[in-house]
Amino acid sequence: MADPSIFGDQEAEFLKELVRQKVDFMIVGLSAAALQGAPVVTQDVDLWFRSLSDPGIERALKKVHGRYVPPTTQNPPMFAGDAVKLFDIVTTMDGLGEFDEERGHTIKLRLGRVKILVLKLERIIASKKAAGREKDKLVLKVLQDALKVIQEREQS
Amino acid sequence: MARVRAVLDEVDNSTTIWYILHVRLSLKKVESLCGRQNSSTAQVLREAGVSRNAFYSLGRKDSVVPRCLIRIAERLDVPVSALLDDTEPSTARIESSIKETNRISKKHRGVDPDNVRHTLLLLDDKPVERLRRALRRGRSVNLR
Repeated sequence: MADPSIFGDQEAEFLKELVRQKVDFMIVGLSAAALQGAPVVTQDVDLWFRSLSDPGIERALKKVHGRYVPPTTQNPPMFAGDAVKLFDIVTTMDGLGEFDEERGHTIKLRLGRVKILVLKLERIIASKKAAGREKDKLVLKVLQDALKVIQEREQS
Repeated sequence: MARVRAVLDEVDNSTTIWYILHVRLSLKKVESLCGRQNSSTAQVLREAGVSRNAFYSLGRKDSVVPRCLIRIAERLDVPVSALLDDTEPSTARIESSIKETNRISKKHRGVDPDNVRHTLLLLDDKPVERLRRALRRGRSVNLR
């Protein structure tokens, strides 16, 4: 079993609070791919919010003693605090549609006590292809192979 | 126990019972392992939170398998191993994983069998465990 301290009660509590506050969000990026079974590594959990001005985000942050750091000319928006240091805020996804459109390409996965929307692997692949950075190209093959395995498993 | 069980796959049930009943604690082996780590047995016991009494009492027993398990196994007429859950991946599971990897790799030309095998293994875990693995590895790479 993987070390439970790396995504433990604090992080699960924050996600639970977001759900409780009815904040519209989804997990995207490589963390979403990993959740679906792709053998990838990642350093953060990317969260894509429908609206960063949703007051539920502030309330959820308050519950776990975190805070929101607004974007500046040099930095993107981010969270600060122990319970939320693993989370990154995503504002757009390369090659994909708007939040509402991509919401239709999600699955619900259980994380702790709540089910969270997770962007489907097919869409993560599409986004990585569109981004076209070296680090995206490196991981594409793994994601594509993993997708085939997952589809095989779903059919069987 | 795992080594014993691997051997047991080759033999019949009566032999299984014999092996399982005769799994003893080897004081010599423990002492030797402690010595290799430049520690005395007493020191290791202290650090492990095991009392000397409990340890040496276990060492005197013919078998480390609890009596109650042996009695249940005898009553059911099954080997003690039939009552135990294997915490290591069983041979059957490994074989099934290899078979599935080969099947998918043949069907989808060009896939990397390592990617297939790793994905299959991860699919057996809960999503949160998969995420923890990815984060732990990602962050350890970052630290280096």
